[in-house]
Amino acid sequence: MQLKTNKQLSKTLAAATCTLLGSQAGLVEAQGEVGTWDVDTAVLYYAESDDRVQAAEPVISATRNYENDQKLNIKLVVDTLTGASPTGATPSDTVQTFTRPSGRGGSYEIKSGEQPLDDTFIDTRVALSTQWSSPINRDWAYSTGIYGSAEYDYISTGINGNILRYLNNKNTTLNAGMAISHDIITPEGDIPVPLSRMAIPNTPDFDQDFADSRDGSEETKDIIDLMFGVTQVINRRMIMQFNYSISLSDGYLTDPFKILSVIDDQAGANYGGNLTDADGNNIYLYENRPDSRMKHAFYWQTKYQLLNGDIIDGSYRLMVDDWGITSHTFDMTYRWQLGNDYLEPHVRYYMQSEADFYQRYITSTEYNNGAPTLTEASADYRLGDLDTWTLGLKYGHRLDNDQELSVRLEYYQQTSNGDSGIGKLTDQELYPDTSAIIVQLGYSF
Amino acid sequence: MQRLNIPTPLNPHNHPNPTLQINPDYSIGRFEAMASPCEILMAGLSENEAKALTVTAAQEAWRIEHKFSRYVADNIVSKINSSTGDAVEVDEETARLLDYAKQCYELSDGYFDITSGVLRKVWRFDGSDKLPEKSDVANTLEQVGWHRINWSSPFITVPEGMEIDFGGIGKEYAVDQTLQKLQQLVQQKPSEKQAPSEYSILVNFGGDLACSGPRPDGRPWQVGIESNHALNQAVASLSIYQGALATSGDSRRYLQHNGVRYGHVLDPKTGWPVLKSPHSVTVAAPSCTLAGMLATFALLKGEQAEDFLKDQQAKYWVQWG
Repeated sequence: MQLKTNKQLSKTLAAATCTLLGSQAGLVEAQGEVGTWDVDTAVLYYAESDDRVQAAEPVISATRNYENDQKLNIKLVVDTLTGASPTGATPSDTVQTFTRPSGRGGSYEIKSGEQPLDDTFIDTRVALSTQWSSPINRDWAYSTGIYGSAEYDYISTGINGNILRYLNNKNTTLNAGMAISHDIITPEGDIPVPLSRMAIPNTPDFDQDFADSRDGSEETKDIIDLMFGVTQVINRRMIMQFNYSISLSDGYLTDPFKILSVIDDQAGANYGGNLTDADGNNIYLYENRPDSRMKHAFYWQTKYQLLNGDIIDGSYRLMVDDWGITSHTFDMTYRWQLGNDYLEPHVRYYMQSEADFYQRYITSTEYNNGAPTLTEASADYRLGDLDTWTLGLKYGHRLDNDQELSVRLEYYQQTSNGDSGIGKLTDQELYPDTSAIIVQLGYSF
Repeated sequence: MQRLNIPTPLNPHNHPNPTLQINPDYSIGRFEAMASPCEILMAGLSENEAKALTVTAAQEAWRIEHKFSRYVADNIVSKINSSTGDAVEVDEETARLLDYAKQCYELSDGYFDITSGVLRKVWRFDGSDKLPEKSDVANTLEQVGWHRINWSSPFITVPEGMEIDFGGIGKEYAVDQTLQKLQQLVQQKPSEKQAPSEYSILVNFGGDLACSGPRPDGRPWQVGIESNHALNQAVASLSIYQGALATSGDSRRYLQHNGVRYGHVLDPKTGWPVLKSPHSVTVAAPSCTLAGMLATFALLKGEQAEDFLKDQQAKYWVQWG
């Protein structure tokens, strides 16, 4: 006798039984079953407006469940980035020519009034992490993991450890964790001398000038993160979490590819225009950031389940650091349960104040004929005054006890603010808005 | 222990009224339905809730029993079986069951067939050694075959002499429907709304059971699987945190002839019992209907019952001898 001897039969039968019994017919998520793997896979696609950065990121995360609630998770992420990214220079009413970061790839031109974007920003990053978690006894548990990622010019490695203490019948969980990481940066074209002048392409002295602006091929960065948190079940419908974390970074924190335009602040015909040298070439300087950074963050999250099974999830994060940046993040999702499907609208608002050493450009006074009066400066818009909104919608469909499909669409809108420039520079758009869309497809089994 | 009164119109088969026993850990409501002893186990619920749930469970079990029983003269099943070839319009619930029966017929390549009930006219599984005549079986087989039925929702046309019988789905369906109804009842009570983790209900109709979740203290329900050799003795004890169990087998209905035990699961293509099938198959699945159907499919596989269940990655217990 030939019954369909494959897994497909029981899945089809299960689906038929669901139809018979109605949507509540026990599609219970079968997660955490001993001896099984729970796998989450997703592909994310990110695209900024105006042909800026695009990224595709497939992720696979697999958790193996062992006896006694022990778990091993392995996660692989591949990130491919392409597209153009702002260099930090300001737009100008004249054509601008920039050296490629590598110093070898020649130069590129930016038209008058255009945002200076470098489109050689292509990279693929692979990251692998593994995390082991296990109870110690009824009241204690721990987790530990290692992490490594590599891309063409950057390697990051890290380890972490976390300890949990349960109280009040597991209604309260305290946790303390630490993570250490060590990064090695080997940018193409080597490390630039801080605030040195970008060599002018297609000039006889280019090679020498370029070499002079270089200071070694490799730099490192160390980060220590400490986190203390408490998770508390408030009542049968609500759970809350509070975290306090400190992060210390030490080492090379500068972006080797970012520059600042030097703008003439002498009264005269060129007031607000690019400062030029004796040969008429614009002057741009490589940025420099402090070699340490200390961040404090406070995070609060609440999940609340309504009587109909829908879930509201809201969180707030405050971050303050010694670079002068203060940021606030407000995030909320609403999961609307529809039987074996769900719809999840999402909204997020993020604002940050600018770093102390952030400035959109350097003035000729500060440039001081090649002996800058500043020690640190960066025009990276990610350190500036930012306001961002994200609106998204996620749809999920549970196929059976093991499988779920999901699709997420998000729209991201960012506005920057800052000093509007002087003289001629005020005619330029120094803080263009950016928007991006994110599409993510997920499959869990 | 108390007895709960259910008005006669809701008790068409005149079953004794349900009883309710309140224990410190959980309460048990008991009644009879579908020729089986039925129990509702309730933990984390008040006495008033336990009363309401037991009454609701009995009423739902009796409703389904009355609606889909072969033995009732004026229900939808009788109407269909006496229609002598005319189309009969069915209600939404019956339509769902017919759709399900059709899908199970297709998934089992025709081995699960709700038209095979007429074969009971030639087979009497009373533990004796009286096998039917081959010719009688062959003649009756002419009236078996879902492919001869015209089912086009909401109309079903059953040729004269043929019958449909929901016996293979009915009890497990009743367990699932009853549990759903009881859960809805608990969730709807205005003053006593509770999160699903704070209470647990287990519905058990003669060994086919389903539960809503673990008991409030996190403990599972303990269930015994009956041994086929010694009825009323458990051969395995299971801990159930959630989901359902159903058993298909011949523990109580079989024929024994020349040392061969003929289980009551008939092969609708031959008219004879499936050969070398296990004595009983118990399957655990998220719903009782699904568990029961997997168990039935396994029995229909005869010798390959266990291989089939392994293939489907089902949780199962099989008793062969």
